[in-house]
Amino acid sequence: MSISKVTNTSQSNSNNDLLYSSLSQNMKVIKHTLGNSNDIIIREISIGKAEKNTVTSEITIGKAEKHAMVMISIDGLSDKTTISDSVIDKLIQEVEEAQNPDVETIKQYVKETCLTVGDVNEISNFSTLYNSILNGDTVILLDGVSAGIVTSTKSAKDRAITDPSTESVIRGPRESFTETLRTNTALIRRKIKSPNLWIKSRVIGEVTKTDVAVMYLNGIANDKIVAEVLARLDRINIDGILEGGYIEDFIQDSKFTIFPTVYNSERPDVIAGELLDGKIAILVDGTPFVLIVPALFTSFLHSAEDYYQHWIISSLVRILRFFGISLALVAPSLYVAITTFHQEMLPTPMLISIASQREGVPFPAVVEALMMELAFEILREAGLRMPRTIGPAVSIVGTLVIGQAAVEAGIVSAVMVIIVALTAICSFLFPAYGLSNTIRLLRFPLMILAAMLGLFGVMFGMMMIIIHLCSIRTFGVPYLSPFGPLILKDQKDALVLFPRRALLTRPSLISQKNNVRGHKFFSVKKRN
Amino acid sequence: MSKYKTICLLLMVTLFLSGCWSKRELNELAIVSALGIDKVDDEFEVTVQIVVPGEISSKAPTSGRSPVITNYAKGKTIFEAIRKMTTLSTRKIYFAHTQVVILGEELAKEGISEALDLISRDHEFRNDFNVIIAHETTAKEVLNILTPIEKVPANKLINSLNTSEKAWGSTIAINIDELVSTLSSSETSPILSAIEIKGDATLGMGATNVDKVKTPVVLKYAGLAVFKKDKYIGLLTEEESKSVSFLSDKIKSTIEIIACPKGGTLATEITKSKTKIKGKFEKGTPKINVHIDVEQNVGEVECTINLTSQKSIDYVNKKTEELIKKQIEKSISTIQQTYRSDILGFGEELHRADPKKWKKIKNDWPTMFQDLAVNVEVHVKTKGLGTMQNSILNKKKKE
Repeated sequence: MSISKVTNTSQSNSNNDLLYSSLSQNMKVIKHTLGNSNDIIIREISIGKAEKNTVTSEITIGKAEKHAMVMISIDGLSDKTTISDSVIDKLIQEVEEAQNPDVETIKQYVKETCLTVGDVNEISNFSTLYNSILNGDTVILLDGVSAGIVTSTKSAKDRAITDPSTESVIRGPRESFTETLRTNTALIRRKIKSPNLWIKSRVIGEVTKTDVAVMYLNGIANDKIVAEVLARLDRINIDGILEGGYIEDFIQDSKFTIFPTVYNSERPDVIAGELLDGKIAILVDGTPFVLIVPALFTSFLHSAEDYYQHWIISSLVRILRFFGISLALVAPSLYVAITTFHQEMLPTPMLISIASQREGVPFPAVVEALMMELAFEILREAGLRMPRTIGPAVSIVGTLVIGQAAVEAGIVSAVMVIIVALTAICSFLFPAYGLSNTIRLLRFPLMILAAMLGLFGVMFGMMMIIIHLCSIRTFGVPYLSPFGPLILKDQKDALVLFPRRALLTRPSLISQKNNVRGHKFFSVKKRN
Repeated sequence: MSKYKTICLLLMVTLFLSGCWSKRELNELAIVSALGIDKVDDEFEVTVQIVVPGEISSKAPTSGRSPVITNYAKGKTIFEAIRKMTTLSTRKIYFAHTQVVILGEELAKEGISEALDLISRDHEFRNDFNVIIAHETTAKEVLNILTPIEKVPANKLINSLNTSEKAWGSTIAINIDELVSTLSSSETSPILSAIEIKGDATLGMGATNVDKVKTPVVLKYAGLAVFKKDKYIGLLTEEESKSVSFLSDKIKSTIEIIACPKGGTLATEITKSKTKIKGKFEKGTPKINVHIDVEQNVGEVECTINLTSQKSIDYVNKKTEELIKKQIEKSISTIQQTYRSDILGFGEELHRADPKKWKKIKNDWPTMFQDLAVNVEVHVKTKGLGTMQNSILNKKKKE
């Protein structure tokens, strides 16, 4: 069953949408609607008794009276080889042998026996027809029949599956999603060979008609969340979906949180792992990132590789990551707070050393910190957007001018450069990029609070952040779980990672039906 | 809803109203490393040793200027003197990193309680700095002397104090909290380490003091200063200081030198020492039992002795026991007879042992202390001989 068919039969019920039985009338409407665009291929075929015919491209088949037949497809979207081998060739070879001249019979024959294409469907209205050809299918229309035959001739032209570029691992699969929805679903199916891996499809975007697939493991995923996801997808009313980010924005619980509540990954193994936890994947055609809901705060700190290496190593790396993330958030504000309010907290030699570096620096510590952080953010943004060939130039300017020269000129202190560099490195520690941006942003208000109130301000800011984190829900699941609310059972895969054999249960707030991992679920299912 | 939001918003705004309250940039501070208090006539003279960060840091090329400077001010109270100091100081004087407080001899003789009030009351002072007294000089003189290796003289003072406490035992690092609590107890009197200047103090002020191989003017710990209540009454000798360290259970390591049976000397290194002081009343007469457990290694042998035999080890043990016991008994009697000040906390022990009987003798304690019977018991164990067994002297004799 093709994706387009499911949704569109329900959409188009008005009478003028139905196909006419006259071929010429149909063709007129189609040409008018598509604006005579030159990439539409319209192939006319005659079926029936041979007559004097001057048009060379017309094929006459069958022994009865002549019937007109038209094949419509779009150049570039459809696979030309499939069209010529499995459609035109077969029509010429097989239909000739058909004895019955009746139009309905020919249609039936073409649909059921003649075509050697896997996916053949009958359609009866224009909107489905447009959807089909715009998806790369070929539609065959017969004169005298108010129905069309859709044959799947989608072109397999897509990017090769490459190494993931944003989530690299040392040990682990080397494949990543592509822009093609079908390839992506196949990549996941290849990981989870279960009949319970279900896909629900939606077409979103009034103009773009983008295919969106919702994948989940039936029986493991929480039905209520699945229903909620589908309901939220159905509520989307927009012209076009060009990237998964559009969907993410629409289906979020809260529009005002800067914390990401939808997880995304370009790694099939990560998505498969999340599906096995009972989460729900949303695949958007044209996006090599698959969205995962509900996304918990902890998932942004977990890397795929955590699960592939020894659990003790993974646990230590996770602790390091948590530490690094806190550092990325508070390092500059702690520096500002301690050096301007709480000098007594530093060991004396360190205080003297910092003080000697700050001799002659013209700005207060907070201005210095804001300046350097801003400079770094500018460098980082420039590094992302500029053409690759200019890269080295920016890095030279960045390191030499901002780092060394600024210190030597006495505009900033060396400690500040160290702090900014440390913060920068720590902000690249995130396995998921989404959270990194949040932390980047929160750093600045914390710095200002630190400059006004010292450590009290930093604490105040942290408390506000934590209170906010506790208040976030993602598809009804507390964002901070399993820390807030504290679920002891789920701590096995949160801050630390327990050995595989200890991970007996799925996250309890996400999949509430079948919480026990392993064979039990499927054997129980069989008996029923 | 909007009401709550408005209230929350208003509350948050109040945070910003505070501005940069109590903000101090690092380069607006004069970091004090040591504080000296003297008494001149009827006024306090306060000396602060201020670190010049640019001269201390290892990165910046030193311009040859002094790494520390001292500021002085006089006042009727210390607080007044400190505030007066702003008239000559370039920056705000910041006391949180004070490492040592030096009390001048004159002040110590007149009583230190008044001087200590501010530094233990003020919130900016931490409570982890040590207090020492200047012996036969003023705190101002001591703070004016530059020291080699340690650019900040206060660091030198602290480091020497700690190392000699750990390895020799003639000084005891007393921090302000301990001092104040001892002063406030009615039985015990404090002891403080005393520093003295060796050499001509006026020469110690300049860079000439640190650019020579042999430093002309040095700061040296003279021993422990005995107080009676809060008044300085005298300085213990090095040996007596060590005994006091033994009695206050502050010995971490020290050296004892004993005589060998056939002449010559043998030095032992004390590696562990545990002192227990027990007070009791025998028929109403107070008595103190001191029990010291010592572990030692043989450190240096300058005589012929067969260290491989148990007999010699027993001899070494016995001799060390006798030596320590003799020294301690002698020191106790000096403290009892000459100074008549209970710096060892014997009174407190007796109070703890029997509060009721203590109450009866409490008023007579200063006189009773002089005749207090103290029984000292020392147990020594020799654990090791070092990396050699017998001395090379042994071999020579055989040949």
